[in-house]
Amino acid sequence: MLKLTNLSRHYLSDDVETLALNKVNIEIAVGEFVAIMGPSGCGKSTLLNIIGMLDNPSSGEYWFNGENVAGYKEAQLAAIRKHHIGFIFQNFNLIDELSVRDNIELALLYHDVPASERRRRVAEVMDKVGIAHRANHLPSQLSGGQQQRVAVARAVVGGQSMILADEPTGNLDSAHGQEVMAMLQGLNEEGTTIVMVTHSPAHADYARRTINLFDGHVVTEDVKAA
Amino acid sequence: MFANYFLTAWRNLLKNRAFSAINIIGLAVGLASCILIMLYVKSESGYDQWIPDNERIVRLHTAYESPGRAPFLTVRSAGRMMPAVRDYLSAEIEDGMRLVVWDTTVQQNGEAFSEQVAFADSSFFNVLNLPFANGSAQSSFNKPNDLLISREMAQKYFGSTDAIGKTLTVCCLRGQTVELTVSGVLEDLPDNTHLALDMLVYMDTEVFGQFPGVLDTWTSVNVYTYFKLRPGVSLEQAQLRLTWWVDNESPFLEFAKQNSGMLPDGTKISDTMKHKLMRLPDLHLDAHNDAGNMGDLTPMGNRKLVATFSLVAVLILVIACINFMNLATARAGQRAKEVAMRKVLGASRAQVAVQFLLEAIGLVMISLLFALVAVELVLPWYNQLLGKVFEFRLFSEPSLLFTLLGLGLLVGLIAGSYPALVLSGYLPGQILKASKSNESSASVKLRHVLVVFQFAVSVTLLVCTAVVYLQTQHANNLDLGYSTERKLVVGIRAARDNLDSLKQQWQAIPGVQSVVYSSEAPTQDNENNNFVTLLGSNQGDKPVEELLNYHNMDYGFFQAYQVQPLAGRLFDKAYGSDTLTPAEQNQISQAAAILNEGAVRRLGFNSPQEAIGRTLQISASGDGLNHLTVVGVIPDIYFRSVKFAIRPSLYMLNPQRFNVATITYNQGQASQVTAEIERVWKQAVPMQPIDMQYLSDMLAAQYQSENVQMQLFSVFSLLAVLVACLGLYGLAAFTAERKTREIGIRKVMGASVKQIMLLLIWQFSRPIMLANLVAWPLSIWLMLNWLQVFVNRIDTWWLLPICLMATLVSVCIAWLTVGGNAAKVAKANPIKALRHE
Repeated sequence: MLKLTNLSRHYLSDDVETLALNKVNIEIAVGEFVAIMGPSGCGKSTLLNIIGMLDNPSSGEYWFNGENVAGYKEAQLAAIRKHHIGFIFQNFNLIDELSVRDNIELALLYHDVPASERRRRVAEVMDKVGIAHRANHLPSQLSGGQQQRVAVARAVVGGQSMILADEPTGNLDSAHGQEVMAMLQGLNEEGTTIVMVTHSPAHADYARRTINLFDGHVVTEDVKAA
Repeated sequence: MFANYFLTAWRNLLKNRAFSAINIIGLAVGLASCILIMLYVKSESGYDQWIPDNERIVRLHTAYESPGRAPFLTVRSAGRMMPAVRDYLSAEIEDGMRLVVWDTTVQQNGEAFSEQVAFADSSFFNVLNLPFANGSAQSSFNKPNDLLISREMAQKYFGSTDAIGKTLTVCCLRGQTVELTVSGVLEDLPDNTHLALDMLVYMDTEVFGQFPGVLDTWTSVNVYTYFKLRPGVSLEQAQLRLTWWVDNESPFLEFAKQNSGMLPDGTKISDTMKHKLMRLPDLHLDAHNDAGNMGDLTPMGNRKLVATFSLVAVLILVIACINFMNLATARAGQRAKEVAMRKVLGASRAQVAVQFLLEAIGLVMISLLFALVAVELVLPWYNQLLGKVFEFRLFSEPSLLFTLLGLGLLVGLIAGSYPALVLSGYLPGQILKASKSNESSASVKLRHVLVVFQFAVSVTLLVCTAVVYLQTQHANNLDLGYSTERKLVVGIRAARDNLDSLKQQWQAIPGVQSVVYSSEAPTQDNENNNFVTLLGSNQGDKPVEELLNYHNMDYGFFQAYQVQPLAGRLFDKAYGSDTLTPAEQNQISQAAAILNEGAVRRLGFNSPQEAIGRTLQISASGDGLNHLTVVGVIPDIYFRSVKFAIRPSLYMLNPQRFNVATITYNQGQASQVTAEIERVWKQAVPMQPIDMQYLSDMLAAQYQSENVQMQLFSVFSLLAVLVACLGLYGLAAFTAERKTREIGIRKVMGASVKQIMLLLIWQFSRPIMLANLVAWPLSIWLMLNWLQVFVNRIDTWWLLPICLMATLVSVCIAWLTVGGNAAKVAKANPIKALRHE
C-alpha cells in the first residue's frame, strides 16, 4: 500500500536544525496492522504525519498506491488523504460545538456525498461503534472512551482504506483503552490497514508488526508469528 | 499590590499589541467623537443662560392658522400686544418690552456701513439686563434716541470704548436720516445668544407709533416682544391667562364680530390666532417650531438635531466599549491561569475584579490622551465646518478637565465591568486542571448579541446618512421652475428715487444682458398676503375671496428668469395698462395681474385658461380699490426655499414696491460686470454700500445648515462604522485563533482552504445579516419620520435600495475585515493546530 524510501524530515527553527526522521525505509502492505513505538521525540508522530500526508518529507520518496507523493502540493495531498486515510488522535480532536452525529458527518461533508447517503452511513457507523444512543450529545457530554469511539467512527465513515492512530489510548483508562483496541482490531480484520503510534507494549501487541524508532531511525522491526 | 496590577496590565498591553491597538484606537475615536459632539451640544444648549433671570423671561410668538390655509408662523408679534398683555397680566408679568429691528446704513467719516439697528422700549433693561462696558441702564438709556453700541461697534467707529457723547449718522429710518448720540457702550454679546444687538436705540414710541404696521397694530407682526414674569409665576400660568384674555377680553373679539369668516362655528379665537410664550433659554433650540419661514434674530438651532448628535456620540462610545468588552472576554482564556493563580494565592473575587476594572480604566485613560490630541488636531476644521469658535482649553478650564476625566472613568467602568465580572468569576480548580478557560456559552452568546448590536447601529447610521445625503441632494437639485444662472441680485431701496436712470446705466454696461426690478428676488421670502376677491363669482351669497401671497415684478422679470406662461401672457409694456397705480379713496384703479397655478386652483378655476381675463379686486395700492385683470398664468415656481410648499401667489407690477434688481450677465464676464455695477452704484448712491450677491450663493446659503448637518452626520456615522469594524477585526482575529484546532480537524477531514475561508466568513456574516434585519425596520421607521418634515422629499421607495446597499456595504466590510484572518488560518498547517492542546 505504501513504501517509504530513504525518507528524511528536518525542521529549522531559530537557526537550529532538528532531524526528526533520518533515511527511514518502511513498507506497509494492504490490510496490515502496524504499531510504531519509541521514546518521546524519536519521530513517531512525524512519521505518522508524513504517512497521513499532513506533512511533507524533506527528502526521500513516499510511494502511496503506486504514486510517489513526496513533493505533492497541499491540495493534491488533501485529495488523496480524504479518500483513503482516516485519523484517530490521542486527544480525540472532536469539534466541541458539533454533536456526535455532526462530528462523524464532518468526514463526509467534504466528499460530495448526498445528504441522505450521509445520514445513512453515519447511522450505520454509529451503530457499529455503539454510540448511536449518544448521537445528539456534544463531545463534552461523553466519556473519553465514548469520544474516542466517535473519533473511530469519523475515521472510517468515509470508507477509508487506512487508519492512522496517534496514541489512540493515551488519554483513556485501561478498560476504555481495551475497548478501542478491540474496535481497531475488528476494523483490521475487515480489511482496513492500520498504522498506530503507541507507548503501550500491550496495545502494540494487537499489531502484527511493530516498528521501533530511535532518534529518527528505524532500529528494529518485530513481526508477530502468524 | 497596585504596582503588581500595573506591571501585569502593562505587560499584557505590550504582549497583545494588536488587541491593545484596536482597543485604544477604537476608544480614542469614540472619545474624540464624543468630545467634539459634546462641544457642539454644550454650545447649543447653553444659549442665553448667562442673561440674569433668564428663566423668568419669555418671548411672545404668533401663529395665524385659518382653516384650509397654510399656517402663518412667526416669532414676532403685533405692536399693540405688549402693553395690552403687560397690563392685563400684571399679576403674572413684571414688565415687558418690544424690539423693532431694521437694516440701516451708518455713515461715518465719509464711509457708509450696513448695520442692523434695534429700537427698544424704555423698559428694555427691566427685562433683558445686559451688561454695560461704559454707562448704565439708568444713565444711558433714559430718553428717546439714546444710542447704545457694543464694544465692537465702539472700536469700529471710534477706535475705543470711550464713545459716549459721540454721534453716528444713521440713514433712512423711514426715509429720514438721523444723527444719534452714543449714550453708553454695551459689552459684546457672547456667541451663545439668540440676540443680535450691536446697536440699540431708545425707541421714540410717538414717532414709531405713526409708522404703519409697527407699533399701532393688532395684526401686523413686526416686533419682537419679551416679558419678564414675576418670581414664582410659571410659563404655563402666564400662557393660560394670555389665552383666556385672547378669547374673552382682547380686541380680537371685535375683529371676529366684524369679520364672520374669521371664526368658523365652534372655534375660539385662540384656535386661529395663537399667541404663545416661550422661555428665553428655549428660544435657540425651539423657536424654529414657531418661526415659519421668517427666521429669528440669529440662526436658530434645533433640539432634535442636538438630541440626535448626542445619541450618535453615545452610540460611538458604546460601540467602542463593546469592542473592549468583546475582546477582553474573548481573550479571557489567556488571562485565566493568572486569575486562577491569584485566587490560589489568596485573592478574593472582588480584588480580581478591581484589578481588571483598573486595567480597563487605565486603557481608557491612554485612549483619552490620544483622543485629546485628535480633538486638538481636528478642531480648526470642525470650527470651520460649523461656523463656530469652540475653544478647548483643557488646563485653564478645570471643569472641562474634570468632566473629561469623569468621562474616562465612566467609560472605563462601563467597558471594564463585564470583563471584570467574567474573569473574576473563574474557578481556579477547573482552570488549573483543564489548563484552559471555562468560558460559558452564555458569555459567547452575549458577545454575538453585542456584535449584532454594534452592526445594527452602524447599518442604521449608514442608512440614515445615505437618506440625509439623498434628501440634501434632492433639495439642492430640485427644478425651481426658473433659471438661476448668471444672476446678480442688488438691493435698491436706497436708490428708489432714481431707479430708472440706475437701470439705464446698468443696462449700458458691456456684458449685462438684462436688469429687472422686483419686490423680492428668489430666496428673499416675504409674508405679504392680501385678500383677493374674484369678481363675478359666487360662493354661497358672496363672491370668492381668498388670501393670496403677492409679489411685485417689473416688465421683463419672468423673461429674465426664463419663466414661460402656461396661459395668457407676461407683463408687457406694449399694452400700457399693466402697471398698478394708487387708487384714490372711493376710486378704482385698473392694472394687470399674473397668477401661479396654485392661485388658479385656490380661486376655483379648472384650468389656467379659465382664469385669463377675469378680474380680481384687491386693496394693494392707494386708499381705494384696485381691479386687476388676470393676463397670464405661470407655473408654480419655488420663490422661497424648497423646504416650504409653494404658496398660491399673485404677481403685480407696482414700481413703488421694488426692492431688488436682478442683473443677468453674459457668460465669463462676472468680474468685469460686478466691478462696473458697483462703480455705477457708488456714483448714484455714494453714501450707501452696495448690497450685491450672486443668486447662486443666495440659493446655496438656504441649504447651508442642512449641508453642514449632512457632513457632520456622515463623518460621525463613518467613525461609528470604523470603530465597529475595528472590533470585528479583533474578534475575527481572536476567533480564528480560537478555532485553530477546529480548522485543523476540518482540514484533516479534507476541507480545502477555500472551504475553510468560506466557513469562517459565513460565521461572521451571520451576526452582520442579523444586524441588518434589526437595522432595516429601525432605520426605515426613523427616516420615514424624518422625511415627513420636508415638503419636497425623495420618494420613500428609495429606502429599500438604500437598505440593500447598506447591507451590502456592511457585509463587504465584514468580509474584508474577517477575510485576511480567515485566509491566514485556513492556510496554516493542520499539524500545528492539532497539537494545539
